[in-house]
Amino acid sequence: MSDASTAVAVSAPQPVQAARARSGFWMRLFRNPLTVAAAVWVTLLLLAWLWPGLLAPHDPYAGDVTLTRTFEGPSWDHWLGTDGQGRDLYSRVVFGARFAVNSILIAMVVAIGLGVPLGLFSGWRGGRADRIVMWVNDVLFSLPIVLLAMAVIIILEPSLPSAMLGVGIAMATRFVRLTRAVTLAEKEEMYVDAARITGLSPPAILRRYITPNLLPSLIVQVAIISGAVILIGATLSFLGIGAKLDDPDWGVMLARARFDFRLEGIWQIVPAGGALVLTVLAFNLLGDGIRDSLGRDAASSSLTVPRKVALPPVVQLHANGAVLSIRDLAVGFPAPGGMVNRVLSDVSLEVFPGETLGVVGESGSGKSMTMLAALGLTPAPGYLSQGSVSFDGREVTFLPEQEWQEIRGRDIGMIFQEPVAALNPALRVGRQLMQSLLVHTDMSKSQARARAAELLAEVQVPDPERRLDQYPHEFSGGMAQRVGIAMALACEPKLLIADEPTTALDVTVQGQILDLMAEVQQRHGMAVILITHDLGVIADAADRVLVMYAGQVVETASVSTLFSRPRHPYTRALLDTMPQSHRGHGDLPVIGGVVPSAAAWPDGCRFAPRCEFATDQCRTSVPLLEAVGTDLVRCVRHAEFEFGPHAETSA
Amino acid sequence: MARYIGIRLLAMIPLLFAIAVISFAIAVAMEARGSIAGSVCGEGATIECIAQVERQLGLDDPMPIRFVRWLASAATGDLGTSLTNQSVSVSSLIADRIGATLSIVAYSLVIGVAAGMAMGIVSAVRPGGVADRALSVASAALIAAPGFVLAMLLSWWLAVEWGWLSPAGYTRPSESITGWIRSITLPAIGLALPTVALVQRQLRSSMTNALQSRYVLAARARGIRRTSLIGEHALPNAMIPTVTAIGFRAAAALGLTFTVEVVFNINGMGTLLTNAIQTRNVTVLQGSMLVVGIVVLVVNLLVDISYGLLNPKVRLER
Repeated sequence: MSDASTAVAVSAPQPVQAARARSGFWMRLFRNPLTVAAAVWVTLLLLAWLWPGLLAPHDPYAGDVTLTRTFEGPSWDHWLGTDGQGRDLYSRVVFGARFAVNSILIAMVVAIGLGVPLGLFSGWRGGRADRIVMWVNDVLFSLPIVLLAMAVIIILEPSLPSAMLGVGIAMATRFVRLTRAVTLAEKEEMYVDAARITGLSPPAILRRYITPNLLPSLIVQVAIISGAVILIGATLSFLGIGAKLDDPDWGVMLARARFDFRLEGIWQIVPAGGALVLTVLAFNLLGDGIRDSLGRDAASSSLTVPRKVALPPVVQLHANGAVLSIRDLAVGFPAPGGMVNRVLSDVSLEVFPGETLGVVGESGSGKSMTMLAALGLTPAPGYLSQGSVSFDGREVTFLPEQEWQEIRGRDIGMIFQEPVAALNPALRVGRQLMQSLLVHTDMSKSQARARAAELLAEVQVPDPERRLDQYPHEFSGGMAQRVGIAMALACEPKLLIADEPTTALDVTVQGQILDLMAEVQQRHGMAVILITHDLGVIADAADRVLVMYAGQVVETASVSTLFSRPRHPYTRALLDTMPQSHRGHGDLPVIGGVVPSAAAWPDGCRFAPRCEFATDQCRTSVPLLEAVGTDLVRCVRHAEFEFGPHAETSA
Repeated sequence: MARYIGIRLLAMIPLLFAIAVISFAIAVAMEARGSIAGSVCGEGATIECIAQVERQLGLDDPMPIRFVRWLASAATGDLGTSLTNQSVSVSSLIADRIGATLSIVAYSLVIGVAAGMAMGIVSAVRPGGVADRALSVASAALIAAPGFVLAMLLSWWLAVEWGWLSPAGYTRPSESITGWIRSITLPAIGLALPTVALVQRQLRSSMTNALQSRYVLAARARGIRRTSLIGEHALPNAMIPTVTAIGFRAAAALGLTFTVEVVFNINGMGTLLTNAIQTRNVTVLQGSMLVVGIVVLVVNLLVDISYGLLNPKVRLER
């Protein structure tokens, strides 16, 4: 009865491969000259395998009967010289390709023939069958491949095919792992689930959905394992338990070179060894090239990073008495095509002793980047492209890293958003706390430890002595943030920068952490820059506020002014999204859309596309930061607005 | 930590059993293909020879009994006698050779890991820099080159350029410590070169990641010095995946050392195994397989222990 609907449902899940664009793959693959060279070498190898006579001028087995032309170096007759029987080494190397490719074929047929079905079975069935298969697989995987091959060789007979049978069995363990992993992942995908429910048989699902997803990684593995197979084949032949002693196999030729070591026969290493190394290298490079070409963003390579832009020294006026003063800061990131994305532009701010400056804006507005850039911590490949920073009356814009190290941690403390991620998982918390003290003060180890315990007690971490010896993973988020604060305060800095200190924490813990910060600020009298996207936090803690959007400052004001009379539409929109300001019913308003990325910033006002008051003028003219009393606002229409405290707008 | 090691040790027991089964199965499989005795004794086999070999292998009994008997005597260190020379026990043959093999492998790992770590760190500190690009090219070439070819080139170069002939053969540490080190230095370097490349590649990638992590940024924001950022903050975390890679390489090196031994005329497991295969001496191969398997298990245990040392999360859980 439901046959018709079943048929419809089955056709619904789309094979992934069909949708994927294939044409770009070859372009990407052959853009890398190394991959091209590797492909050429492998092609030559295959030619030599099919028609060795075409490439080789001499019979690889026929020596010089007179034995006068033995152990020769390269010459016109013998391009790569001759061996102890006067046989042409170049021809022997060419014929060696036969043994190499045959080795790969035997080993791959065995490895894929055993490994892929077992991996599919194991991943598909799961449960006990999976555990048994994987356990046996892991045992075989851990044993040296050469030893496993030796076991097969003694059971059969010493020959290259039996050696390759052994290598194939050993290599099958790699394919079991790979296939099982892909099967497990794909099994959970929705479309496979849908296909299973609609009654498609497991073999059909495997063929239609899993195999196409397996193929790319399988090809990469085949290329890389081919190189390994050749290496192991040569190893076994070299030991005399692979190819026969007379064969022009590369491993055997190396064994002969070894045998003739004292007889001037050492040159033989070069042709056979060279062919071996180049072939393995070619397979590895080909595998790497295919893998890179399959990846989505293979184009972004570190090779295209442009040189840093040298800046003219600009004398800037900094506010007197400010702890930190930033003037017209800009940060650029290299973009494709030699372009530069300016993720920050014209950012200025200052903060005075004892004051708390709140910095607000959505994610991606450049708040954290401003702070990192100001501290000389611009993440690579970004760079400071303009501006000036002064700390405590001292110009620090281009301070050498060594001098920065003195200031960071001692005069400036920083608290990070994710407290656990900001702690090193491999080091004891006490060690990390003590490090700051040992670097910046003259304390001895025992003094530093005592002070570290004091600091933990100060930020209300219970049982500080025991906690010092624990690792970060033993701390909850809230406790880890207390550690973060203790670290930032360790040397009683003049400035504390708190970058979203409570965002990753529980609501109940957030309040505790903010109270703690307020308390330490009172006690130490330092300046605080509090970065957050939560205006509720600003209302509680800040004296002055700076609003950022899309890498620019859009408004500055005192807290009371900002909340009572916001001047920028963005500020107003932010205020509207505050749960506290939402008195009405219905959904909490949100600002439509997201902060665009630096590459997509509009020409005119950057907020215009999301602004409900935007006019054509906004989209074309670039708004400047204008002074309104002691405050600043970046909006061409700001004079027209009269935004009340959560009131109706009169535009 | 003791508890962690204890659990790892218990987990080794079934693995040990599996390796014993594989080793034993070799003789069973040979038998299934035809008489072992026939192939050991050769074409003009005498009845005495065949009877002797069959008695040694206990071929009259049912298979499970043979396995239990083989395992029981293996547990006491008795791996039977060599099929080609009945007066020599397999365990004494292995005991005689394994020292050289293990010395070379261990020495090569020390050299390879030390040099690879240094190169990996240099690469990761400035990825894309001149040093990094040069080291990455060198690594790609070394990974593709078999250790024995490098060993041969090395000894050739030393002999030609320096007139310094490498001491052939193996000197036991009980005879002379300096002689021992001299005898295994060149083979160990040959075997170590691919290890260097592997460690450099792995550490470069995990170290680059570690240096871009939040905790390193946070440490920089605290004014922690560069050497400490690299050595104390990034390195231990970057070593966690690297240790796994070193473990795999150690097992592979155990198999690849055989060729290096041949190059330098060292009587190690390589010549023992090669001869055993050519004379179809199955008891020697079985015994060697078992011993090498145990060595691999011990290596895995060491890897697990260093994993625990580096990663407090692993060590303290459970």
